[in-house]
Amino acid sequence: MSDMLRLIENEVQLAALAFLGLVYIVRLIWIFRFASRKERTFAAGSQGAGIRRSLANIAMPWAMESTRKDPWLYAQFVVFHLGVAAAIAATFIIPYAPHVFEIRAVVLLFQAVIGAAFLAGVLRLVRRLVNPVLRLISSADDYVSLVLMILFFAAGFLAVPNDIDRAEWPLIAFFGLTAFFLVYVPFSKISHYLYYPFTRFYLGRTLGHRGAIPQGTRPMSPGKDNERTSRPKGDPR
Amino acid sequence: MAGGRLQTYDPAGDNVRRFLELLAGRLTRPLTVSLTACVHCGLCAESCHYFLARPDDPTMTPVWKADQIRKVFKRHIDWTGRILPWWVKAGSVHDDEDLNRLKNIVFGSCSACRRCTYNCPMGVDTGLLVRFTRGLLTELGVVPEGVFNVSRDQWETGNQMAVSEQDYLETLEWMRDEVRAELGDDKVDIPIDRPDCDILYTINPREIKFDPRPIAQAAKIFHVAGESWTLPRWGWDQTNFGLFSGDDRLGAWVARNVYEAAERLRAKRIVISECGHGYRSTRWEGYTWAGFDQRVPTESVVVTLKRHLDQGRISVDPSRNAEGVTFHDSCNIARSGDLVEEPRDVLRRVCSDFREMTPNRRENYCCTGGGGLLSMAEYRPLRLEVAKIKAEQLRATGAKYVCTMCHNCIDGLNDVIKHYKLPMKVVQVLELVSKALVLPEKGGRG
Repeated sequence: MSDMLRLIENEVQLAALAFLGLVYIVRLIWIFRFASRKERTFAAGSQGAGIRRSLANIAMPWAMESTRKDPWLYAQFVVFHLGVAAAIAATFIIPYAPHVFEIRAVVLLFQAVIGAAFLAGVLRLVRRLVNPVLRLISSADDYVSLVLMILFFAAGFLAVPNDIDRAEWPLIAFFGLTAFFLVYVPFSKISHYLYYPFTRFYLGRTLGHRGAIPQGTRPMSPGKDNERTSRPKGDPR
Repeated sequence: MAGGRLQTYDPAGDNVRRFLELLAGRLTRPLTVSLTACVHCGLCAESCHYFLARPDDPTMTPVWKADQIRKVFKRHIDWTGRILPWWVKAGSVHDDEDLNRLKNIVFGSCSACRRCTYNCPMGVDTGLLVRFTRGLLTELGVVPEGVFNVSRDQWETGNQMAVSEQDYLETLEWMRDEVRAELGDDKVDIPIDRPDCDILYTINPREIKFDPRPIAQAAKIFHVAGESWTLPRWGWDQTNFGLFSGDDRLGAWVARNVYEAAERLRAKRIVISECGHGYRSTRWEGYTWAGFDQRVPTESVVVTLKRHLDQGRISVDPSRNAEGVTFHDSCNIARSGDLVEEPRDVLRRVCSDFREMTPNRRENYCCTGGGGLLSMAEYRPLRLEVAKIKAEQLRATGAKYVCTMCHNCIDGLNDVIKHYKLPMKVVQVLELVSKALVLPEKGGRG
């Protein structure tokens, strides 16, 4: 292994990861600076159930008309994000548990997942270029983030065999892209995974409290609706 | 009374600077994350009746509409957009014309029905963003004339249709006399300001100004059910234009009028007549706007009717509503509230041919008059154009009646029915229950 590959697999990755973590901490502090309003009404449902249901929405394509009507798009989403998970896992496995990729079946599994994600990424790019709605709303960041992901998948596909005797460049490309990502991600749309828990939490909390979600689980009785199920703070009674 | 608090547009004012100050000052955490989380996947597009009706116009999509405030947020508040605005399509408002354009988007091409919110994989609450933007513009007086006029009326008179106290009291007396004549019973009353009742009944000013029959229907049913109830002399308007204009101060003041009326009269429960935005405002949002901790149960009259049926306090004969009835879920009640099965339970008991429309419940399409759009005449042509989605949905039911528990929806649906020449009539739950009501024999209860 060359010094360059060793450096880029280890120190560079750790530095980039630390940078990402630091920026995210600042970002979270920034988000928490904004106030969240206090709920003052009697509950008709359950905030906890609403939050759980809202967070689980990602795994419930039947729950939304938008994904229910277009399962193909949802399948692309699943494949794409499984590829992300596999590629990120590979960035840790290669330097810290290389024996895992000595198992041929594991390599093939990772290549299958990452390769499928590559194809899903290409389909998503085509959709973004062809669909007039997406063309109108897309920014440079939307395009570049997607193209970078496609390149990341391609590099990951070639890197997971971890065969440095044959060629180091796939690994250098893969880890180079990974380091770049770690620095770029906090400032791009790719950070949406950081916001997902927040948007889902607040939507789930509000709609869960009102009994709007989870759908069909709230007992339909005036009693439930009309009796106090939670006492607002400061209520002396 | 409170008219001074309504902002008028000042053409000589530095409105852009003020807009940006308000934007920065009013952001909450749920708003901020909804502004940052959108990934531009476009899945919201086909949940919106505006886009479904105009599929070749990407500016009708929820994401594009939300992006018009999102890009200002990115340019002035968020990180990357402040440094590299072109990279994330961040942008600003430069003059009053930009503010006016924003007004036409958030007031004119969105009924804030929240259907897109339920269809966003990320949980971005576009309905919330639209209301927030409306609120910023309202603070500058950059609002449609109808919104301004109704808000002014509500600030000045305590009700959105500027009903005088004399008109209010006389209409209630008139309806009381109607019910007395119908039942042949002089004990029937529509009490005003009676303390210590079980129910404080609050209504929509439309019931005084245009169609008082729901008051009579409620009075008749309450009388037969032996309900202890009253209307307040002040604080009777459960509607709230603050919800539509985004003006939390108006929302707080109107809602507080109702809550304080309940406290003043020591009512055990607030009951809201059939009104979608009134229900959402009084049951849910108003307590937050007013900073008022809820102390008494607050419910829709439909829930009250259901309780009367459950407890056997009223009897009904569904054969009196024999023709096909379908139910239209109000956005503010179903998607931003809790009542979905309750009205259906009542309708199944009082109608012999109840049929669902498709989609229904929380996936139902807006009546197209939501979000205060009925008061904005300048957007009527677009509203009626995109109403073809609703018209097709209604027509497919083959029902003779479409029932809704919302006054806005009544007018919205009536416009759709008239414009698309549908062979239907709009009714409310109270009307159907009243028609099916089996009156006790003389000497019985009541």
